[in-house]
Amino acid sequence: MVNLTIDGKQVAVEKDATIYDAAKACGIKIPILCHDKKLHPFGGCRMCLVEVEQMKGRLIPACTTPVTEGMIVQTTTDEIVKARKLVLELLLLKHPIDCPVCDAAGDCDLQNLTYEYKVNMNRFVDEKFNHEIDYENPLIERDMNRCIHCGKCARICDEIVSYGAYTFINRGIEAKMGTEFDGPLNCEFCGSCVSVCPVGALNSRPFKFKARWWALQKTKSVCSYCGTGCQLTLGSKDGKVLTTIYDENQGFHNGQLCTRGRFGYQFVNSDKRLTAPMIRKNGNLQEATWEEALAEVTSRLSAGKSDPASVAALATPRLTNEELYLFGKLFRGTVGTDNIDHSAGYAHEALTKGAVASFGVAASPAEIADVQKSNLLLVVKSDAYETHPVIGFEINLGVKRKGIALRIVSDKKGKLTRLPGAKTTVHAPGNEVALFNALCKSVIDQGLAAEGVAGLDALKAAVADATAEKAGVTAEEIAAIAKEFASAEKALIILPIGQGYPGHNAALANAAANLAILTGQYGKEGAGLLIMGEKNNSQGAVDMGIYPKGTGLNAAAIIDGCANGNIKTLFVAGENPVVSYPNRKKVEKALENVEFMVVSDLFLTETAAMADVVLPACSFAEKSGTFTSLGRRVQNVRKAIPAVGLAKSDFDILNALSQALGGARYNNQGEVFTEIAANVPAYKGLTQAGLKDEGAVYPVALSAKLVPAAAQASAPVAGKLTLVTGSALYHCGTMSRFGEGPMYVCPDAYAELNVADAAALKVAEGDQVTVTSGTGAVQVVAKVGKRVPQGVVFSPYHFGEGSVNTITDGSEVTYVTVAKK
Amino acid sequence: MSNAPAEEIAAEEIDLTEANEIIDKYLTLPGNLMPVLQGIQDAYGFVPKPTIDLVAERLNVYPSQIYGVLTFYAQFHLKPRGKFIIRVCVGTACHVQGAERITETFFGRLGIGHAETTEDLRYTFEKVACLGACGMAPLAMVNDDTYGKMTVQKVDEIIETYNARPMK
Ligand code: SF4
Ligand code: SF4
Ligand code: SF4
Ligand code: FES
Ligand code: FES
Repeated sequence: MVNLTIDGKQVAVEKDATIYDAAKACGIKIPILCHDKKLHPFGGCRMCLVEVEQMKGRLIPACTTPVTEGMIVQTTTDEIVKARKLVLELLLLKHPIDCPVCDAAGDCDLQNLTYEYKVNMNRFVDEKFNHEIDYENPLIERDMNRCIHCGKCARICDEIVSYGAYTFINRGIEAKMGTEFDGPLNCEFCGSCVSVCPVGALNSRPFKFKARWWALQKTKSVCSYCGTGCQLTLGSKDGKVLTTIYDENQGFHNGQLCTRGRFGYQFVNSDKRLTAPMIRKNGNLQEATWEEALAEVTSRLSAGKSDPASVAALATPRLTNEELYLFGKLFRGTVGTDNIDHSAGYAHEALTKGAVASFGVAASPAEIADVQKSNLLLVVKSDAYETHPVIGFEINLGVKRKGIALRIVSDKKGKLTRLPGAKTTVHAPGNEVALFNALCKSVIDQGLAAEGVAGLDALKAAVADATAEKAGVTAEEIAAIAKEFASAEKALIILPIGQGYPGHNAALANAAANLAILTGQYGKEGAGLLIMGEKNNSQGAVDMGIYPKGTGLNAAAIIDGCANGNIKTLFVAGENPVVSYPNRKKVEKALENVEFMVVSDLFLTETAAMADVVLPACSFAEKSGTFTSLGRRVQNVRKAIPAVGLAKSDFDILNALSQALGGARYNNQGEVFTEIAANVPAYKGLTQAGLKDEGAVYPVALSAKLVPAAAQASAPVAGKLTLVTGSALYHCGTMSRFGEGPMYVCPDAYAELNVADAAALKVAEGDQVTVTSGTGAVQVVAKVGKRVPQGVVFSPYHFGEGSVNTITDGSEVTYVTVAKK
Repeated sequence: MSNAPAEEIAAEEIDLTEANEIIDKYLTLPGNLMPVLQGIQDAYGFVPKPTIDLVAERLNVYPSQIYGVLTFYAQFHLKPRGKFIIRVCVGTACHVQGAERITETFFGRLGIGHAETTEDLRYTFEKVACLGACGMAPLAMVNDDTYGKMTVQKVDEIIETYNARPMK
């Protein structure tokens, strides 16, 4: 610790603190423009000048100067104030004073400091800038006339996002913040640069002219897209969510969001939202009252009570914990069916079965904070960045700032591949288990297994013939990763799972867990296995027990049951099986066959359009409750706006049905949380009020066990390409299709081909191609590049048009042919 | 940063063989961006866009940053340059001695302005701030040849001389 005096106050701070940090720690505010706590210090704006007694004679920047023992600092003398005024006058010299029409007004550091320092005249005159404004994209407007050259946008895009869209271009008086070839912005549109810009140079276009900043009602909540669980602040007015507000003190991610979180909120106010219940009459869905709709559903469900095996229910892991708990209680308890699932039957086996078998808990043994505490990250699939972008930011930060080693095993390359020192091992699709088995064998062969690991002999036998070749990689690569992983002080495996990842199942979780257990890389900080659930409440759905137990049918079996007539009543809360489950034709036929289907959703999805009763549900912004992130953090979701139209929250819908069917009745969702805290052991002792803004990570008690995992052999098929499905950059499930941001970054389904394959097929970027498998064909746009290896096609699964599940059947790899249309 | 080997990058539009060779030479050296860009500029006469993409990919640097470097240093050029670079000094001494008339005459004769290149790629014209031979003001240079005490008539002589030179 270092002791110093700031404005007469004694302060003790860490030795790597700056004067700015020290002042902040004791509540003294030093004005800043170019500084941001997440970024490397820049020291470019000179707003933070202070006086240090030991360095008399000049003013020094507080944001870049480290503290030293005994320092005596003054932060506001006449001279300092004069200097700051000068800085402001110089900034205002070229800066247009268009505060009345600038969207940053009220949230602009330059405006606020000008006010604070009473700079109401300028001793200098000069011409204003005359840069052309970049309106080329619908998300981010760049008005470089307002830029104060603080460099924050360039730094965040490089240091955290790792995209590097900006740089200072030209020099001297001509210098400006620019892009490659000074062209329009063309990037991931995560909005990070907009969030840190201290002035109105970078603006969110969807928010433009929607409201003055100070007129917004600000509600802290949790993003409803992926399992990362980023916290966000919704800015709303007149019952509409108009923007997300940046708060650098919010969440583990310091307010960072991805394109979905930042620009994807529009689905809430989409004019496609369902606003009234609908009942199918004479073959058509017609508007109805809630009474009619609920009466219809109630009578069907109560009839089902006498034959519970004929009833099944699917819920989306986007619902709150309270809603999921009530869902489970209603169907398992009151209706009496065990046929309930949340797409786990297709995608979350890694959590529900794998983690339990290997670690004794249906949750990741690691949490998100472990990413930055590790020494080596082993990422499965290159696109952990794309499925969980803000975890990608954490990986970027860890690798670039702390020098954490990054190893990727994947069937294609991605953005993480380009990080400093990253090594990517590209394997044949579907060979993940074989690869982990080979890694385990290599650990054993190299004598690197931790001492006294139970079940070692069984594992030895199981992996005896697991060779690198079987996984489609070289022995050297396997030996090197095995050695690095085993000998790292702390090593963490990052495993994304979800609907688009057939094969990322229990066996893969076990195989990966074996490596962690074998090498002792678990049960300590910075180590273990992070199983990244796809949706915002994937973990909560598991915790609330929304998967079949005993003889109940899982999602896949429920679809089969609909097809063969065993399931007569199907309740679907927010799932969209038609687009997201494999083998679309089969799903459609099954759902057509089911006698009665009720769907509650925000939109008339492809599935809802087939229902007998459609119930309009609330979005996350219209309700309160909790979500549990993939790192087991239980967080408060808070209602920001009233329900759209006649929509009701799933809680209200389920509560009404429960009551009508003679089940439980709650006064509010909070009562359910109290019950969860009493019944779900991991949530013991939690209260919604106690979660406050930061939430709580519930503990896990691990009982690690080696569980041999059998690798599926997948041999290439002559003349065919291997189809890999997954997440598109910045989509999440099928909901992001209703968000402006994600749809701008990625509007359509596509198939990504290697340049060599594309050349052989005479396919160019942007061509329409037909991808055909044993189960069907889809038409999509071709993308050509070097990310996918030869012989492999990648296609994202989110889209209703050109949906890849028309051609997949749920097996680990699908062989396809691609032809130009 | 992980540097990509040459074979991964296929040639596009222009022949990148030379650019690849230059990158190969510096690939593993720290601080290799400047020498690579200088090498490319020497080889191609300017820094063509495809080489920027190539350098970005192989050295794992953002294209935006390369563009930043290229626009910061006056030594780099993003457009093709003429075989003969005509520089006319407009520094104080030359200005006083009538540099303005010399530049205007060149503009008129060549049909190009400051920092422009004739369509046949024979000439590039640049005004510069002081060539360090103020005693000979007004001063012009063509590549490495210096022409002092410039007059309008000398402009025509210079253009005649270099028009007669072969392009290859
Ligand atoms: S939106 Fe994101 S990727 Fe695009 S320039 Fe800004 S920070 Fe970079
Ligand atoms: S655009 Fe904004 S963040 Fe970027 S340098 Fe200018 S003022 Fe700073
Ligand atoms: S989608 Fe995921 S990563 Fe993106 S902001 Fe939301 S929670 Fe964070
Ligand atoms: S905030 Fe310290 S120099 Fe800009
Ligand atoms: S001013 Fe022209 S050479 Fe110095």
